[in-house]
Amino acid sequence: MSERKDVQISVRDVAKRFDSRGADEGITALSAVNLEILRGEFLVLLGPSGCGKSTLLNLIAGFLKPSSGSILHDGAAVAGPDRRRTVVFQEYALFPWMTVQQNVEFGLKAQGMPQRERRGVARDLLSVVRLSGFEDRYPHEISGGMKQRAAIARAIAPSPDILLMDEPFGALDAQTRVLLQEEIARISAETGKTIVFVTHSIDEAVFLGDRIVVMSSRPGRVREIYPVELARPRVAAMRVDAAFRDLVDKLWTSLRPDWRAETGDVAQPA
Amino acid sequence: MGDRGINAMKLTRLSGSFRRFIGIGLLIVAWQALATFNVINPFLLPPPSRLVATFWDMLIDGSLLIHAASSLERVVVGFAAAAAIGTVLGVVLGWWPAISEQLIPVVEAVRPIPPIAWTPLAILWFGIGNAPSYFLVFIGAVFPVFINTFAAVRGLDRTQVNAALCLGAGPRLLITDVVVPASLPVIFPGLRIALGVGWMCVVAAELIAAQSGLGYLIQQSRMLLQTQVVLTGMITIGMIGFAMNAGMVWLERRLIPWKAGGPRS
Ligand SMILES: Nc1ncnc2c1ncn2[C@@H]1O[C@H](COP(=O)(O)OP(=O)(O)O)[C@@H](O)[C@H]1O
Ligand SMILES: [Mg+2]
Repeated sequence: MSERKDVQISVRDVAKRFDSRGADEGITALSAVNLEILRGEFLVLLGPSGCGKSTLLNLIAGFLKPSSGSILHDGAAVAGPDRRRTVVFQEYALFPWMTVQQNVEFGLKAQGMPQRERRGVARDLLSVVRLSGFEDRYPHEISGGMKQRAAIARAIAPSPDILLMDEPFGALDAQTRVLLQEEIARISAETGKTIVFVTHSIDEAVFLGDRIVVMSSRPGRVREIYPVELARPRVAAMRVDAAFRDLVDKLWTSLRPDWRAETGDVAQPA
Repeated sequence: MGDRGINAMKLTRLSGSFRRFIGIGLLIVAWQALATFNVINPFLLPPPSRLVATFWDMLIDGSLLIHAASSLERVVVGFAAAAAIGTVLGVVLGWWPAISEQLIPVVEAVRPIPPIAWTPLAILWFGIGNAPSYFLVFIGAVFPVFINTFAAVRGLDRTQVNAALCLGAGPRLLITDVVVPASLPVIFPGLRIALGVGWMCVVAAELIAAQSGLGYLIQQSRMLLQTQVVLTGMITIGMIGFAMNAGMVWLERRLIPWKAGGPRS
């Protein structure tokens, strides 16, 4: 508690407005967001869809610039995307013209690593995500779950400081999703990397997170931050722990009004 | 099932490819018959037997190959220039909207002018020889290449570009390993169309502005009243055009294996 906080990313009073082509003055996606991301932690951004989770992640990645406020990485302003913060996207965004192996090698090639060396590194990473034997397949030849494993390997390859994941398992079926949750929990424990993970699934948030940032919409802002008091590494058995269930219930209660609003179910008060 | 099923399948496939030739076979037979019974004037439309003989003679004495080679050389040079300049222009204008806003109106103003309309200028500028043909092929082929490349770059998946950027890609790697291959499935059909247009342009150019080539051959033969050579030349033009298109389709499958099936990414 008393030890010095090791802040890696600091989001300071950030707002993001999108100019819309219509007559009105645009959409305020985020307003007055303050957040400190600690080195090595697994931080989850949780909230109903449209509350600005992707916008915040894209700002941290450097794909977008804040309308006001600032984002610092190790004290220096984020100027644009760079390989210290790599991203895993919901729709995989693998390069369909490259084999799985070439996809994973891409970030290494960008660094100028010689081909022989990067081939070895990529093979090792593919075995970490259990894709050995699929190196020479094209993305359209493998399943959704395998695509996302490949995308994770590709994002880890350039040894980023932080892994940013935007609803990475959102497009997968329930079983694959649970397996990959366990996988990313294992990878996170083994590599010790900082991970920022966007989801709208409460279970997923509690299973994976060290801290859960609950966001609310219109305009998107940080409502509350919940620490998760579960041991690491996270394993499947923890899903039935009392602590796990309690936190899930608490988050449900906290988020219910937002979800009601989202489904238009506002007539009956909670 | 079993052998008989497989045999029946083979049979239907065979008769399928056979059926494709029935129409063209009937046409040739009817054409020959009409000529034999003097229904059509064999000077205006020589019968197939005459064309086969002419084709064979010109193949043996090498004249057909020499003319075809001149035409092919011209189309290759003009097309290569169009492919290079069209893709570079398409990538540049597709990537930087500020430039394209200035230049797209120019492109759209020039594009509707048929390549043939450039012939007088081409002769004026380049004289008679290969150069005006190169130029006319270039004019015909550059627009399909440019338009498709431009559309491809404009339609790039922003997420894929972002993925490349966060993985540390610099501008060069981004272009060579992401922008170009992502655009290839759209660019390539443009190249195929451009080659077809280029082939038409070279023949048109040779009718007027050349001393060799298949276009020159049919024009000369018309003046010598050799209708059978005119038709033989036309058929050769058609066959080469068909073969070039088939070659491009084959190349497209080889170069874009990921397009083989399934959704993107
Ligand atoms: N490029 C954009 N242009 C205009 N509006 C946008 C853009 N991106 C997001 N928005 C708007 O910002 C809000 C937050 O979006 P987003 O960050 O995608 O939410 P989430 O990821 O939580 O579902 C939404 O209202 C969305 O419509
Ligand atoms: Mg989102």
